[in-house]
Amino acid sequence: MTIGIPRALLYYYYFPLWRSLFTNLGHQVVVSAPTNGEMLEEGIKQTVSEICVPIKVYNSHVIELLKKDVDFIFVPRFVRNNGREWYCPKFLGLPELVKYSIPEAKEKMISFDIHPKIDDTFDAKDFLPLCDYLNVSKRDLKNALKKANEDFLKFRAFMEKGYDFERALSALDGIDNPPPFKKGALNILLIGYVYNIYDPLVSMNIIQKLRDMNVNVYTFDMLNEKFIRNPKEKGKKIYWVFTRKIYNTVRRMLLDDEIDGIIHLTAFVCGPDSVVGKLFELDCDKYQKPFMTIRVDEHTGHGHLQTRIEAFVDMLKYKTKNAM
Amino acid sequence: MKVAFPYMGCVTAYDWFLEHLGHKVVMPPEPTQRTIDLGVKYAPEFFCYPFKIMLGTYIEVAEKGAELIISSGGCGPCRAGLYGEVHQRVLDHLGFNTEVVIFDSLFQDPKDFFRKVLSVKNNTSLMSVLKYFSIGFKMVEDMDAIQRKINILRAYEINRGDFNEAFSKIKKMYRKCESKKDVLKTTVEANAMLDKIPIRKVREEERIRVGIVGEIYVIMERCANNSIEEKLNNLGVEVETVQDISSWVKHNLIPRRFNKEKSWQVIEKAKREYTPLNVGGHDLENIGWMIDFAERGFDGIVHCMPFGCLPELVTRSIIPQISKDKNIPILSLSFDEQISSANVQTRLEAFIDLAKNKKKKPGLFEEFEFKEAAIV
Ligand code: SF4
Ligand code: SF4
Repeated sequence: MTIGIPRALLYYYYFPLWRSLFTNLGHQVVVSAPTNGEMLEEGIKQTVSEICVPIKVYNSHVIELLKKDVDFIFVPRFVRNNGREWYCPKFLGLPELVKYSIPEAKEKMISFDIHPKIDDTFDAKDFLPLCDYLNVSKRDLKNALKKANEDFLKFRAFMEKGYDFERALSALDGIDNPPPFKKGALNILLIGYVYNIYDPLVSMNIIQKLRDMNVNVYTFDMLNEKFIRNPKEKGKKIYWVFTRKIYNTVRRMLLDDEIDGIIHLTAFVCGPDSVVGKLFELDCDKYQKPFMTIRVDEHTGHGHLQTRIEAFVDMLKYKTKNAM
Repeated sequence: MKVAFPYMGCVTAYDWFLEHLGHKVVMPPEPTQRTIDLGVKYAPEFFCYPFKIMLGTYIEVAEKGAELIISSGGCGPCRAGLYGEVHQRVLDHLGFNTEVVIFDSLFQDPKDFFRKVLSVKNNTSLMSVLKYFSIGFKMVEDMDAIQRKINILRAYEINRGDFNEAFSKIKKMYRKCESKKDVLKTTVEANAMLDKIPIRKVREEERIRVGIVGEIYVIMERCANNSIEEKLNNLGVEVETVQDISSWVKHNLIPRRFNKEKSWQVIEKAKREYTPLNVGGHDLENIGWMIDFAERGFDGIVHCMPFGCLPELVTRSIIPQISKDKNIPILSLSFDEQISSANVQTRLEAFIDLAKNKKKKPGLFEEFEFKEAAIV
């Protein structure tokens, strides 16, 4: 059977795991094409207008997969980790956001709740409903998942060496093309969710653009989980998984003198970012780290992004030159 | 200690309760344009609208010297769980010496809850606290019932303003109560007052009834929702709103196992038919109430949410299906500091026309019109 995986949202984090899992169960994985304007048009048409662009992108990919006539479409519902930390409410409502916006998808959806204990190694019980969907035994699932977890950790190891998503994925497949990190170049932390920084349309290839300006780019998923856990301190913590990751990445990088500046790439009307975005601003101010927010939606133009990052990079270059 | 609280629904009873615990109460003024402006100015730009209005109120009471602000928070997965933290940060930043205490759900962390109760109870004996609470709660319950009654009768008001005037008087009457007996007596008087107000008589089949569901702050606070209940009443429409303080308290404070509240029953309906999981606000409950309104033969439903509200956007995605399945017109509106009263009015008028036409000619209403109306 063919299982469609939308190239959106957590695809950019978990794809290696999912691909390995389904392939090892004997199925063929089909991924939707990289986001393009036409696809997004259709997603926008079918999705509530007020929602953040990543969800519209997701629906675009579901529509695209329907056109490819796959047997199933994998739409997991990530709920919370370790019984404590939640995913963004829109992840919790993702299956509904898909099936009530695109009714034809309903029949094809493989959808169940995922409550992992830790988020880089999954337990067979997290994926148990797959046994019914795909008619496999629990034992087969366990074996396939074991392999998938291994592949995922291999992938993560590449990420932690500074690879970006695409490079880590091809490295996993045997084509190792290490990312360019140059001595003496500017170091910029590009903070934001994987589905924003890696989506070619949403991010307008910002990583490549920065590299073309001779900048070393760092992202939160290059850090091992153990560096970005919540510190033990009093008070309420950020309780969304990926928001916590980006938040603690920034807190860490603020103390790192090697980092010359921080760019926050975020979507308009992103709920969790409306909280941490403000905290980033305050913290960067406190540590005098140059900081810029780029807020994107379906109307953001290329020119706008290009101008802003150029100005930011120029400013940093000027600053470092003067400091020398 | 000078204590204050957010302005939400009918605040007379909290004022009464805290004063009887021996606190000096800084009464939050009803939110005005200034409140909204203050909130918008100092809140993170993309934070939720309710957060902003509450912040405006907090600044206003802090200006009047409030030292403690008591509020409720919720505990994720939505942003409300972080309201208190961020409110506190902004107040600190502005240089106020005001502490925000959040009563999170009693069952989440009972120890913490009781610690907070102790800090608020101010050396009043526990027996007295319970007594005051029970009187205060009775007051809230009765006032909520009065408000519900007004939302129906005001649709047929002959002299515009009669009901609002009566309600202002009624609030003052409750504020003077000392015992449960006083409350009961006031309730009888209040009802008599309402019954004396002249209203138009209508035939049963001419009644148009609309239910209001949505994000709790926006549907309870008329400053946030552009007085939507009154606007609908003025169009000759009866209104029933699903949230008020007393139902919220009963829904949340009675242990689940003994809780017979209808809000829990409608949640079950929503789970059976539309979605298995609450994504963070009152989304499941709202879906449940929509089913309930449809089953009770209401003529329409208005869904109100703050602009960009995460859980209610999920609800909004489901609305077209509910509307179709249950054959009931549903209008979904988003509110923020930029919405204009005239805009709300036009949308409501168009929607009520649709509901009236449908009533005259039962059967499936045109879906096209609904889509226009639902997706703002
Ligand atoms: S975290 Fe933000 S961008 Fe991501 S789905 Fe939630 S609201 Fe949208
Ligand atoms: S439910 Fe809506 S208004 Fe409340 S915290 Fe969540 S997003 Fe904000």
